[in-house]
Amino acid sequence: MLAKWKLKEVVLMSLFSIVFGIIYLLFLHAGNIWAGFIGPIAYEWIFGIWFIVSIICMYIIRKPGAAVISETIAAAIEVLLGNAVGPRLILSGLIQGLGAEAVFAATGYKRFTLPILMLAGVGSSIFSFAYGYLLGGFSVFHPGYVLLMLGIRIASGAVIAGVGGKYVVDGLLATGSLRGYPIARAVKGDARA
Amino acid sequence: MKQALHDMNPSIKFLVTTICMLTLAFFFNPWTPLICWVGVILLQLCFSSINWKKWFLFMIPFVIMSFGYFWTTIVFAEERTGAIVWSVFHYDITKAQLDHALSLSFRVLAFAGLSLLFAFTTDPTKFILSLMQQLKLSPKIAYSILVGYQFLPVMKEEFVHIQQAHRLRGAVRDRNVLVRLWNLRRILLPMLAGAVRKAERSAFAMEARGFTGEKRTEFYQVISVGKNDMILSSLFFLIIVAGCSSANWI
Repeated sequence: MLAKWKLKEVVLMSLFSIVFGIIYLLFLHAGNIWAGFIGPIAYEWIFGIWFIVSIICMYIIRKPGAAVISETIAAAIEVLLGNAVGPRLILSGLIQGLGAEAVFAATGYKRFTLPILMLAGVGSSIFSFAYGYLLGGFSVFHPGYVLLMLGIRIASGAVIAGVGGKYVVDGLLATGSLRGYPIARAVKGDARA
Repeated sequence: MKQALHDMNPSIKFLVTTICMLTLAFFFNPWTPLICWVGVILLQLCFSSINWKKWFLFMIPFVIMSFGYFWTTIVFAEERTGAIVWSVFHYDITKAQLDHALSLSFRVLAFAGLSLLFAFTTDPTKFILSLMQQLKLSPKIAYSILVGYQFLPVMKEEFVHIQQAHRLRGAVRDRNVLVRLWNLRRILLPMLAGAVRKAERSAFAMEARGFTGEKRTEFYQVISVGKNDMILSSLFFLIIVAGCSSANWI
């Protein structure tokens, strides 16, 4: 999968994953305490933040695997820094990344418009919710409560990860530091067309 | 003896703790997670030399979180059958509800115990090297994660510098924590731009020194698998089996 990647793209992905791994960890701690007071639904509002790196990396690098690998690395960094959910977090990272990757794969890694990025956030939401349903034991809750959780998570994935991710990358593109990465080439290509 | 868990092969430790957690997810009685939690703590008492003060500090948020699970499960539980064991403000709590609630909150504690065990006894660099050597992680990814990991202290410094630069230009630090979190986005972009440049520079440096990212069979620092790993893994599984069969003997 990585044969077609340039080394600088791999390192960029790792570095971004590390930066976001730290941000994820901050939100995880905040979310943990918040959840103590209002229960597991506390995470749902901010869940989109945990999908953002897969969308950012895919939007910049535009190669198969960018979403799932970056999300997995970010989760691994959270584990390495000594988080609290533990090694199982790597598995949830993998699953969240797969959710976003599935959407990009469905477009053939060709379209990176805002709706596609938002859909990728929704994909992550659905995949991670299925996993959380099993592991968090959500099945003991009332179905209405579970549906409410799912709805909030989908909205959060679309808005925070999809819109937020695009906002961050577009800001970064404007600084000019992404020259030499597929996103800059694609934008130039659009301009020429 | 006191170093056994620290010396355990990180990949195997990772697999074993993950299997333990996945198994726990299938049990909805309060005893299974409780026994596993106690077992994991005993394991750490016997085979590791961790900082217990730090351990307690890390455990506090989980205790709060497990309390959150406890009361939400009681309020929003689906199953309301069985004998009534407790009555608060005309609200009846049944045996099934209480069992589920206790189970979910002990599960949070058991998960926390397992993950703290992993985090406190594993050296990050060794973990990545072991992932590459035992679990066939691509060297391209493994080494680029290690590069990124080395950049952490630099980035921490950079974060402070950008913050100071903002303050020099008159950005005021807000009192509200939420507003402060939201304002972090102004620091994020310069940090990421810096990260892009660092990534490019280190990738060039790696390539210049002949790094191709091909799979290899020989390593400078070898992480091995030994008897110690087998013994500890079986201890982990013993705890899980004891916990899972608890429904039969309690």
